[in-house]
Amino acid sequence: MCPAFGAVRNLLRMEDAMPIVISSGDGCLYGHTFVAHFYVANRPIYSPGVSSEIWAKGSAFDELRAMVCDMAERHQPALIPICSLCVSDTVGLPFDLLPKQIGNTEIVYVPLPAYSVHTHARAKDIVVDSLVWRLPPQRKARAGVNLLGEIFPSDPIKIDDVLRRIGTHVNTTVPGPRWADYVAMVDGALNAPLHPFYSESVKRMKMKQGLPFIEGAPVGIDGTYRWIRAVGEALALDPRTVEAVARDEQDRVRLAMADHPLGGLTFMVAGYEGHEFLLVRLLIEAGAQVPFLSTAVNTNPLAREEEAWLKAHGCTVLYGANFEDEIRALTDRPYDCVIGTTPLCAHAKELGIPSIYYTNAIATRSMMLADGAGDVLGLVSQTVRSKGRYDRIARFFADDETKLERTYTSWAPQIDLTAQLIAHHAL
Amino acid sequence: MAPHVREGIAPSELVSEVVNTPIRKRVTDLDHAGGDTGAMQVFASLRDANVVLDGPVGCHVMPAVAVINYTDAVPYLQNVTCSELSETEVTLSGTLGALKEKVAAASREGRQVFIVSTPVSELIGATWTTEHAHEPNSALFFDSHSLDDDEWKSRDRALLFLWQNRNHFSPPGGSAPAAPRARPSVNIIGPTYGNFNSYSDLAEIKRLVAGIGADVNLVYPFEAHPYDTVRLSDADASIVMYAEYGRSLAREVGKPVFTAPIGLEPTTAFLRELGSALGLEAPAEAFIRLEKKTTLAAWHDIWRSTHSDFFANAPVAIVAPPTYRDGLAYYLGEELGLPIAFAAYRTGPEATPSEQVRAVLRDLSPSPMIVFGSINERMIIAQEKLPSLFLQCSFPGAVVRRATGTPFVGYAGAVWLLQCVCEALFDVLFANLPTSALPPERAAVATRDLMRDAPEATAASGKGQNSVMAWTDDAKALTELTLKRVPFFVRVSVNKKLRSEAEKLARTRGGTVDATIVREVTARYSPNR
Repeated sequence: MCPAFGAVRNLLRMEDAMPIVISSGDGCLYGHTFVAHFYVANRPIYSPGVSSEIWAKGSAFDELRAMVCDMAERHQPALIPICSLCVSDTVGLPFDLLPKQIGNTEIVYVPLPAYSVHTHARAKDIVVDSLVWRLPPQRKARAGVNLLGEIFPSDPIKIDDVLRRIGTHVNTTVPGPRWADYVAMVDGALNAPLHPFYSESVKRMKMKQGLPFIEGAPVGIDGTYRWIRAVGEALALDPRTVEAVARDEQDRVRLAMADHPLGGLTFMVAGYEGHEFLLVRLLIEAGAQVPFLSTAVNTNPLAREEEAWLKAHGCTVLYGANFEDEIRALTDRPYDCVIGTTPLCAHAKELGIPSIYYTNAIATRSMMLADGAGDVLGLVSQTVRSKGRYDRIARFFADDETKLERTYTSWAPQIDLTAQLIAHHAL
Repeated sequence: MAPHVREGIAPSELVSEVVNTPIRKRVTDLDHAGGDTGAMQVFASLRDANVVLDGPVGCHVMPAVAVINYTDAVPYLQNVTCSELSETEVTLSGTLGALKEKVAAASREGRQVFIVSTPVSELIGATWTTEHAHEPNSALFFDSHSLDDDEWKSRDRALLFLWQNRNHFSPPGGSAPAAPRARPSVNIIGPTYGNFNSYSDLAEIKRLVAGIGADVNLVYPFEAHPYDTVRLSDADASIVMYAEYGRSLAREVGKPVFTAPIGLEPTTAFLRELGSALGLEAPAEAFIRLEKKTTLAAWHDIWRSTHSDFFANAPVAIVAPPTYRDGLAYYLGEELGLPIAFAAYRTGPEATPSEQVRAVLRDLSPSPMIVFGSINERMIIAQEKLPSLFLQCSFPGAVVRRATGTPFVGYAGAVWLLQCVCEALFDVLFANLPTSALPPERAAVATRDLMRDAPEATAASGKGQNSVMAWTDDAKALTELTLKRVPFFVRVSVNKKLRSEAEKLARTRGGTVDATIVREVTARYSPNR
């Protein structure tokens, strides 16, 4: 999938935004529209028509500006993000010359040349960065934690519960469904990027807002404890309360994980969203072997702590993943489960290895706190248990069937009407 | 309020609150016909056969005109008539006089007539006794046990009855000796009229038989004359389409008996065992290998795609006659890995009564993503406001299944069912994605105004005005409960929608999100597509 879609999907999910996508052509726009309507929302994507004539004449910018002004005046959404994909960004339209505000509408340029964006994660980082950069400086009176991360919609409410017990709260979550969710960031006292890929946003937030940051997320046994402690320390909350709550939540995660032991199982994990770090943490804590994590995300300072933890637990992180290497690695050792991209999973299934597509099955789940841990591990252990099914199908299609386990009638209903027929003198 | 009643829906809106009130005799939403209908569906399926129902006009027009039009998309059965009993026949004269007239009319052009008893004729003890009873091709009387037997049992008995009377039928111009066959051949026993999806299933079984290099001796009764019955013994094996009927006949014919397979492995095993019974082992293996590259290429592609990742979280319920109930439960549950939340027999001694099906479907959490069933289950989904998707897999219920591309049996059936499941996933997804052609609401304030006054708000409540809304504990609990009912893979979309709408309401009311608000939002949530 085009890396830029990471950004388009987040902007399309905003209730008060009308994103404009300057596509690189109909193939590009068709692809984005298709997957958006399947994954995100059944709502229109606005796009100025593009063609070689428009680029050659140089009228593209005038048309874009007319479209923006028209949309702002007619509908006055809170936000019009301008997603500039490969061609328009290469041409270099003078986006600076667009009005910043029209009435109550904010107009924000979001640069998304896919050839340099590389990953969904990076595209999401760009969206947050572009929107937050528009905000005024941080307030003086501030309270609460700003969560940065694509998490299950009810996660912030659960995290808020925990934070209230240590004397603070969730201030806002971005990416969020409203422009106001971003604006609210100026009220927060601490930024908590829950995935290690918001590195550019974080860099500029530091520059502009000077807010403290904490790393990691309340995921898994160690992670949950450490994250709650980190919030407490950053906000100078009562250490005894913080310690008690952190221990309590840690125990609850441990309890939830106990139902899904993964001891003796080996996993391959390949992701491109950034939260694969957190998933591997959960798997390892549940007892699984994860020899390496292949991630499309590039090395970045926010991932350092996560990487150190994984390394200490026998998992090497391979940044800037290479699909061919992943495929080759499939036969290196007997994997019990693969969690990865569509093509990787297709290969794994051909080999009879139970596999799950990361985005559809994992990225849509909560991983946070006790509920999240139980939920994700439940899915994983359920998948591992179906090894027999994957294996049989792989053998069948490889013309390598061992003896079939069933006869063709073993499933069939056993109806015997003999007795009734005799009773009716029909036999 | 009963504990199982779902939050946000008033008890009076739920049919289960009404129909589940115990009354002495409970037959709700009967899902099978009686013996006279079953027998009629067998005899009417034969070529050049006429059926005379010995009963009042309703016994004729209901099964042979009204129902058949919606089960088989046949306008009416032209070869079925009725003795049109009136008060005189029932109370005084008996049915013989009325029957004679109809039988004479039905026997025109040498057609074989089958007289089928109905509840009224059985009640007054009417039969058919004439001096011509033993003449070849004279009308035959079939006691359908219509008061006691269901349609399925009656079909089985009627097929056996035909075999027992095989020497009664003779072709016009006398029987010619059967031409010797070059290839092994099989009988296909069943289907008859009124059998869900049988046109496609039959086409697939014919395809499989041809695929391994065998001939079809007879498709019985659908593609046979009554006088062909005796030729059933010419085949080398019999394939019974459905376990519900036809086995008694197949057993009497005395050749190896096979059952139409549902699922990948059963089909493979079926082809091998049939191949070996017919001495066609090598062609059967070659056909299986070829199928993997052709018919089943679609199956393998879908299996290797991300579509199949959802299966483990897409529970289904199945309510069907035994063959489809067991076949679907095996194929969807064992081979595809969809959790079978509930499976019930529609007929036979183990049948689950409709109100029990209702109670289970209503209380399952999560609700099945797909309910395979009849119009009964479709009504339950609508009446109980379940988020489940309905796919028809049995009668009753008006449906057209005459195109032959929708089999449940064989390799093509495995592909078709897999495709149905995947499309159901997309339908559920579509129903739960935010959908709007309208632009967003007009922004009421500019960004700078969103920020104005915030310091005071922060000071007063400890939170900024745009901060995360507070949710009361019962609101959270109710949300969890609601989400658990939704098929897993759309839970994230539903959660987003629910949270966003609830917080929007709370914002306009200037308070926290409480259970009342959540209830309001969930009541608005419509599973209707």
